[in-house]
Amino acid sequence: MSVSHHDKSVVAAFKLVKAPIYSHCYSNDKSLLAITCDTNCLVYRLQGPNSQPKLVATLADHDKTVTAVDISVHGRIVTCSQDRNAYVWEPLSDGTYRATLVLLRINRAATAVCWAPSGYKFAVGSSARIIAVCYYEQENNWWVSKHIRKPIKSTVNCLSWHENGVLLASGGTDGYMRVFSGFIKGLDSKDIMTGSPWGDKFPFGSLVKEWYQGSYIHDVEWRSNIEKVGYVSHDGCLSVADSQGQVQTVDAPEGLPYRSLLWINDHEILCGGYSCHPVMFTEGTGAWKFSQSLDQVNKGAPAASHFAGDNDEDDENPTFGMSALRKFKELDLKGKVTAHEQESAHENAIVQLRTFAESNGQVTQVSSCGLDGKIVIYSV
Amino acid sequence: MDNWRRIDIDAFDPESGRLSAQDLIPPNETVVTLQELQPKISQLRSLASSGSMDSAVKLATSDPPYGADNSTKATYFQAVLEALTQVRQSDIANIIQQLSSEQQDVLVKYLYKGMSVPEGQKQGGILLAWFEKLTQKAGVNPIVRYLSDRRTI
Amino acid sequence: MSQSLRPYLTAVRYSLEAALTLSNFSSLEVERHNRPEVEVPNTSAELLLQPMHISRNENEQVLIEPSVNSVRVSIKVKQADEIEHILVHKFTRFLEHSAESFYVLRRTAMPGYSISFLITNKHTESMKTGKLVDFIIEFMEEVDKEISEIKLFLNARARFVAEAYLGEFVY
Repeated sequence: MSVSHHDKSVVAAFKLVKAPIYSHCYSNDKSLLAITCDTNCLVYRLQGPNSQPKLVATLADHDKTVTAVDISVHGRIVTCSQDRNAYVWEPLSDGTYRATLVLLRINRAATAVCWAPSGYKFAVGSSARIIAVCYYEQENNWWVSKHIRKPIKSTVNCLSWHENGVLLASGGTDGYMRVFSGFIKGLDSKDIMTGSPWGDKFPFGSLVKEWYQGSYIHDVEWRSNIEKVGYVSHDGCLSVADSQGQVQTVDAPEGLPYRSLLWINDHEILCGGYSCHPVMFTEGTGAWKFSQSLDQVNKGAPAASHFAGDNDEDDENPTFGMSALRKFKELDLKGKVTAHEQESAHENAIVQLRTFAESNGQVTQVSSCGLDGKIVIYSV
Repeated sequence: MDNWRRIDIDAFDPESGRLSAQDLIPPNETVVTLQELQPKISQLRSLASSGSMDSAVKLATSDPPYGADNSTKATYFQAVLEALTQVRQSDIANIIQQLSSEQQDVLVKYLYKGMSVPEGQKQGGILLAWFEKLTQKAGVNPIVRYLSDRRTI
Repeated sequence: MSQSLRPYLTAVRYSLEAALTLSNFSSLEVERHNRPEVEVPNTSAELLLQPMHISRNENEQVLIEPSVNSVRVSIKVKQADEIEHILVHKFTRFLEHSAESFYVLRRTAMPGYSISFLITNKHTESMKTGKLVDFIIEFMEEVDKEISEIKLFLNARARFVAEAYLGEFVY
């Protein structure tokens, strides 16, 4: 697929489906791509940046919208859906997948899912105000779950595991970002937590720390090696919290909220959301600040034109004759000209960012999925 | 009880977990009474009547009484609305330039509230002029923050 | 007129742009359901966001009620006199009858308003947000024009009828 008309930061853009992609994930070696599409999860094989990915499997056991998908280090796919269920899909040698239902024991939609780095347990967020931490029980041949309930007050939107596989960050529509302990006896060892700045004891389900943001938390992500956690919220902010309870906040330059964030390195975070293109933030001396926009429409898109301040209407796009008259009329009646076509790679909001390539702790390529049914890969 | 069919039974279920507007009040809100607020209101009025509109607007949009009861908020709101509508159209842009981002957020709240009551609607033109100048300066940012802000005025 | 119409429409445009940041959100109360929270009575309070009133004067107002997965936009169309009042009522009722083909049109208006729109996450996922905003703004411009045109037409008809009728008494 040709991408020459896009910004140079766009490596590849694939229009995969005609429905919003709420979540996507790559296998460890980045050869497989799983996306959510309506009530299914579709698995694609990547064939380089210039040719369309090939559909290899359709995971179709859910009967309501699939909300999230994640792939473990062992290649197991987990999907969760608004039908209250989650499935673990075990890859078989012939390229198909065998589904195992997870005993979530929740009575509302499952909204987010995230494998722990070890690949032996995962967490599912739900509208039932519960986080279910699920693990495999050998004797029953069954994925079972333990619940974290308190003090979650509303839908859980997002989850992220710390590298140690014990600390679990979550955010939701109740406006709190919380860090819980997801310690499972027999699966995790206590030694890994010695010397952690987050506390001494981590019994399962205990609240380690919480931050009040007030607006919906859309995404949360750990940066484990520096013990920090970043999150984006519906008031258009990116916040970074640390183990001392300190939080640093920076506003989106274009105002519209972000739906996802991704740590590029210890001092850079990429965000994507309703402005349809990724935005990079950098940690300067003691504060985070906006550094650059990727793949931004150069002129005219409604959100973009505002934040430049009070741009005088007549110095953008000088046009003459009849069109000037029309333009004047439009300015007069509508207040702003917005007849411009969106030209960024994503035509609708970006809902999730994932690492596509990295070297030495520095992410070099980022993959995004959007409500427009596209997967776009950016180089940063 | 003739409308018993319409009773919202979920509201009586302690397990329902449904949040009320009361539950959304942010933690650590300080309670403000009318007596405490009265000096600020009179100062605001005197600034507005003496014509120093920029100080009046800056004062009005600093530390609004989030933790006050509804009648106190209404009294304060009246004073703010009077100040805002006394400003000449040509001065608005200049005053907005001097406001901090927090003050802009508060201003948006008073503009929307102003336009929701009849006294403000009569002055719709001037409130819309404030709104236009504010968005020219700050874009959509203060409005996005307004949407999710649970501190009401 | 356009002097004061422009700030009005600008305010509506910015407010809509901020409000149309919707997510797919499954109901907290009813399992396996997904409903526009702004339309649900007694919903959990955190799902509703702050309402936005925009008014040009007492007769021309817009109310935008945002929520986590839907936005309700209610418009009060200018009604200067009794005839305009009747015309607006007839006109909006005609539109509401064919609400199906307008996608975002609500079948009944909110009390106190002439016409209401209901935009859900389904709409923002299948249509461009910018175009949705443009549509509402354009509707607001056109409806005023339309009403005054119908009024002129009605007056002309009335004059013609009156002349024809009174002509009977001219000798």
